[in-house]
Amino acid sequence: MTDRNEVISLRGLTHSYGAAPVLTGIDLTVYAGEFVGLIGLSGSGKSTLLRCVNGLLTPTGGTCVVLGQPVNRMPDRERRLLRRRIGMIFQEFNLLDRLTVLKNVLIGRLGYSSPFATSLHIFSQADRRLAISCLEDVGLGGVEMRRVRDLSGGQKQRVAIARAMAQGADLVLADEATANLDVLTKYDIMDLLQELVATKKITVLASMHDVPLARQYCTRIIGLKGGRITFDASPESLDDAAVAEVMGRSVREARLIEKRS
Amino acid sequence: MSMNNKTAEDQAAPPVHPKITLGGVSSFICTMLVAALIVWCFISIDLDFSRTLTGLSKGMTSIGNMIPKSAADFGYDRHLVTSSTIRTSFAETIQMAVVGTVTGAILALPISFLAARTGSTPRWFSGAIKTFLNISRAVPTVVYALVAIYAVGLGKATGAIAIGFVSFIGLAKLYAEALESVSPGPIEAVRAVGGNSFQVFVYGMLPQVFPNYLATTLYTFEYNLKESFIVGIVGAGGLGQELFESIQLFQWKDAGVIIGLLIILINMVDYFSYRVRLKFT
Repeated sequence: MTDRNEVISLRGLTHSYGAAPVLTGIDLTVYAGEFVGLIGLSGSGKSTLLRCVNGLLTPTGGTCVVLGQPVNRMPDRERRLLRRRIGMIFQEFNLLDRLTVLKNVLIGRLGYSSPFATSLHIFSQADRRLAISCLEDVGLGGVEMRRVRDLSGGQKQRVAIARAMAQGADLVLADEATANLDVLTKYDIMDLLQELVATKKITVLASMHDVPLARQYCTRIIGLKGGRITFDASPESLDDAAVAEVMGRSVREARLIEKRS
Repeated sequence: MSMNNKTAEDQAAPPVHPKITLGGVSSFICTMLVAALIVWCFISIDLDFSRTLTGLSKGMTSIGNMIPKSAADFGYDRHLVTSSTIRTSFAETIQMAVVGTVTGAILALPISFLAARTGSTPRWFSGAIKTFLNISRAVPTVVYALVAIYAVGLGKATGAIAIGFVSFIGLAKLYAEALESVSPGPIEAVRAVGGNSFQVFVYGMLPQVFPNYLATTLYTFEYNLKESFIVGIVGAGGLGQELFESIQLFQWKDAGVIIGLLIILINMVDYFSYRVRLKFT
């Protein structure tokens, strides 16, 4: 426990869109190698929290230190350099459908490449080799020249994970990454994320609303409700009352949901 | 549960009489006004039906004169098509359309980025550019051609300038509208990997708008081939000028050949642009 590296450290983090507060004083520390599930209903502030971590949003208050750097107090240029080390995958995949699988993974290398060469779609041989090996790692060897729009949802999310791997990310933020996938594909994607944590020592912070899935894969579960952390526990110690509280359901209903899945 | 549902339904029961609302009345008045306007336009067009019939036959005769009927007519037409005057004018028409479209597209690309309300430029700035585009777009091509004639004199350069400017205005507006409709997801993804704003444009936006840009540009090229005829009438060269002169001199056969060439050209361009668009959607 002595050499636990802090990957994310949020202190009194607040954010509001106009007058409406979304995050109201979040204190959270995430350590290297954790697979953290951030659970809560839609509108609870999960997505906003993730976007404060990689600086896509600048929080209105508090501090946000990620990989040792103060994200919310950095000039834009340095913030971009830091973002290269933070991968992000999305519910809607956010790939460029018309481009090839390879090109989509190479987008993960943009932060490391010359803006002039990349504007002409020129990438180095090393980057291309890296992208292909990332695709092989996610089980998509041999499809690099296909267009993304011809892939299934599960394959698309694998491409997005390969993109994050090609970045050389130390931290991966997953925003409802399995919410658009069918029951079986969900497990494939969670398996892949678990593998990243185990083999590449990547830290994962994943927002989700599927409590059983979070319980099965995450090493730590954080509940978010109304912009505030309601619990922070290991999956074993997560009790029904806590789940009911964060998901806004009665304890009886929460138990039924758990049983069904 | 069922009790609750029932009361909710009772409360939400629809009103028995449809209400006459202010919105309903005003939309009825608007419809009637538009209808009246259309009727008034038809009445005031002053079409004389007795003269229309004879006029129609005269018109048909002139079109008939354009169509070759005998071996001699065909020989004349073939001779005309291979003549240096027509060949030069044909080339000029294509040159004007190509130079105009390409110049317009190259200028429109950066301006459309500034004009689009995507949050990357201040609102007042994109608003100002859009206003400029809207004002310039309302002016007919011929006016620009006449201005260009004063600037550079008669000839194909004038036509290319006028067509280029009109293409630039039109494409900038259409490109900007395409940029405004891109989905924000891929843009966010490119920002999240650490891409700078230029890379966000090249990878997050351009791939999304490319099919649209290609289609509008090809359509503009096709349209510009016809536009070159209009500017040709005011003396900007090309087949348009030849056509106008032959009609003025009642040389129907010559006019027929030029119109025939235009029909073939437009349809060939249309076919190739269809093939290209298929490949890049």
